[in-house]
Amino acid sequence: MDILAISDLTKTFGGLTAVENVSFRVQEGSISGLIGPNGAGKTTIFNLITGIYKVTRGEITFGGHSIHDLEPHAIANMGITRTFQNIRLFKRLSVYSNILTACHGNASYSVVDSVLKSRRFRTEEKRLREDAVSLMEILGLAEWQNHIAHSLPYGLQRRLEIARALAVKPKLLLLDEPAAGMNPDETQQLMHHICRIRDEFSCTVFVIEHRMDLIMGICENIVVLNFGKKLTEGPPEEIQSDPQVIEAYLGKEARISA
Amino acid sequence: MDWFYVKGILILSGINLMAVLGLSLLTGFTGLFSFGHAGFMAIGAYAAAFIGVNLGLPLIVSLLAGGLVAGIISLFIGRLTLKLKGDYFCIATLGFGEAIRLVLDNVQVFGGARGWPGIPIRIDLWNVVLINLAGIAFMISLVNSRHGRNMIAIREEELAAKTIGIDTFKYKMISLFTSAVYAGIAGGLVGYYTGFLQPKMFGMTKSTELTIIVIFGGIGSVSGSVLGALLLTALPELLRAFALWRLVAYGVAVIFIMISRPEGLMGGKEITFKGILRAIGFGHKHSKAREV
Amino acid sequence: MTQFLQQMINGLSIGSVYALMAVGYSLVYSIMNFSNFAHGGVIMLGAYFGFYFLAVFKWPFAFAFFGAALGSTVLAVLLERVAYKPLRMRNAPFLYFIISAMGASILIENFVIATIGPTFKTYPQVLSREPFQIAALFIGRLDTMIFITSAVCLALLVYFIDFTKVGKAIRATAFNARVSALMGINTDMIIILVFAVGGFLAGVAGVLFGMKYTVYPQIGAVTIKSFIAAVFGGLGSLPGAVIGSVILGLLETLISGYFSSQFRDLISFSLLIIILVLRPIGLMGKPSEEKA
Repeated sequence: MDILAISDLTKTFGGLTAVENVSFRVQEGSISGLIGPNGAGKTTIFNLITGIYKVTRGEITFGGHSIHDLEPHAIANMGITRTFQNIRLFKRLSVYSNILTACHGNASYSVVDSVLKSRRFRTEEKRLREDAVSLMEILGLAEWQNHIAHSLPYGLQRRLEIARALAVKPKLLLLDEPAAGMNPDETQQLMHHICRIRDEFSCTVFVIEHRMDLIMGICENIVVLNFGKKLTEGPPEEIQSDPQVIEAYLGKEARISA
Repeated sequence: MDWFYVKGILILSGINLMAVLGLSLLTGFTGLFSFGHAGFMAIGAYAAAFIGVNLGLPLIVSLLAGGLVAGIISLFIGRLTLKLKGDYFCIATLGFGEAIRLVLDNVQVFGGARGWPGIPIRIDLWNVVLINLAGIAFMISLVNSRHGRNMIAIREEELAAKTIGIDTFKYKMISLFTSAVYAGIAGGLVGYYTGFLQPKMFGMTKSTELTIIVIFGGIGSVSGSVLGALLLTALPELLRAFALWRLVAYGVAVIFIMISRPEGLMGGKEITFKGILRAIGFGHKHSKAREV
Repeated sequence: MTQFLQQMINGLSIGSVYALMAVGYSLVYSIMNFSNFAHGGVIMLGAYFGFYFLAVFKWPFAFAFFGAALGSTVLAVLLERVAYKPLRMRNAPFLYFIISAMGASILIENFVIATIGPTFKTYPQVLSREPFQIAALFIGRLDTMIFITSAVCLALLVYFIDFTKVGKAIRATAFNARVSALMGINTDMIIILVFAVGGFLAGVAGVLFGMKYTVYPQIGAVTIKSFIAAVFGGLGSLPGAVIGSVILGLLETLISGYFSSQFRDLISFSLLIIILVLRPIGLMGKPSEEKA
């Protein structure tokens, strides 16, 4: 079953067309990839899915509901969340506070409850704190819990951003270049984490990445973009040997000389 | 220095603190900048005085009603400008604050620019302290709840806040409303303490002063705001002898703080009961001051 | 009809002074993305420089005029070095820049009050008060001089920004500071330059304003008008700032001519709020979407 369906998606900025008539589907429970040269419109597509950009034309449906007119927070509450290419943590907060904040959706007490310290406030707040602690444990962040986010090593910041996204209990998790700046060891670890997340949190993962080892290693289906248009899509083996893809990445001559 | 004088300074600090607490939520915790909070104070002041004098309602009801009127008006401002990016909200509040003052200058029922004398004096140190304690308790509860955390998330990284499902517009509105209510109550206190209201008491200088206290005390710290309000209200009063140069020194101090210790006095930390115990050698080793 | 034209001329003259203030403000905004609230202080000091050079040192008019503009230029650059550069070095949020600007504005204003005093100073008469007469219209020499001077300055600015290499670098930095820096543009120099140009125009505006009215420490408050004009025209857009200023100047003189000067400021602030509601990006502003 498809969890996300994108049809004839177009986004223009003034006169510039960043994404043009792109259509593809993401299967529920899969790990899918979105690749393409720089400036192909990958992040723009993420921004359109999460409602940060308004769609110019076309449609995005999530679990059968059309979502392209919704506000970003409403889309997040339906179950789509993401990480950012240029990490966007709550920089001055601790690791724990970053995750605790993101757990907010699992409580419903009101402002009055919090001022009166009602029973509802106390039980729900306790649950939020437990959720945050268990997430830190699962992602191996427990020992860092009191560290301020921006003081963490780069790899851990990426992992914290994923942990924060998981606190929202997403059905679809979008990862924007999660391996950027990581060494091969860290990338291996990340691939392992992504697969575990898909299984343990039963969510669908859709990932943008330049690191082909990661993409080819874990994705079941890959969508290739070039100059804002969909070039092709298919399983890793097919994409790897597709002459169009090689040309888009390496240029025409490379193909001839190869 | 007699008690009467000290008491006066404490009451003035208390009045400022009420407005500063509100602004602290908006600027310190939510990251929104207002140059019009004196406008909300003015609305609260005139509304509370009107309700108390003309309808004969008790003090606390008048103050709350004044706060509520300011809060409701803030919702209109917020509705118009909080969806815009960057400086627009702050410029709009600036325009709003000045517009309120100019309107009041021309409302003859309230004495216009000449002012409104003869408001009964009902404020004493004890009721200012009580109102402030209630205000502080409310604020601490709010910022330590999920609602407060959502506001802090907006301050830290608005886009990320949206993608984890926080309705940023709604929380900005709640923050603005709450802070306007605080400012309105503070305005009500002004009228019932001095017995006299004049639009020019609520100019841009007042708004600026409030913002500076919040920053001085430290972004995102309730106890910092309390300290800031006490110190920065008392200091200029105590320095009256150097009348001409004290504001020069004030300006220098503000720039100096910004370029050297921008996190303010408390820098996001809070003074907690446990923290105090620990500092004087009691309590557990691990109960450290809360980090925002 | 004659009265209307008469008012229009008056409005153009004051509007062109607003424009000189607004472009300086807008230039800084376009590069650094924050409202430089200390711009008013620079304008005020420009007016005082002009007054001293002319009335006390008895310099010839052209020297005094140029001297005042240069004085403001130096001051604006100094302001940037002291109050903003340390913040830039740390990538501080725009909030801190605004606070620092407010501190600087308090400092400058009160420094003048403490040293020179709060009293009004009147410029010596430079131009004859005898107006020109064209048909039934009487055109003041001073108004004409103000309009021509402002127009020349603005034309030079347009030439500088649009047709010189340095101007191109400024535009590039405004568009994307980081990429421009990577392309080898010295952002620090560009910022100094922008403050220098803004300061120069502020000095010119200060002298013109002082000649038309009087000089006093709170003169900087008129910059609120230029903020409004800049928002009206579209924040960060130079042609927008000019058009916004001229419209605001015309509107103000027409209102005080036909209704009452009491309403003049109220109308300006209402205009600000109306713009924010109807077209928040201003007349010439471009809509933008946040980059993720």
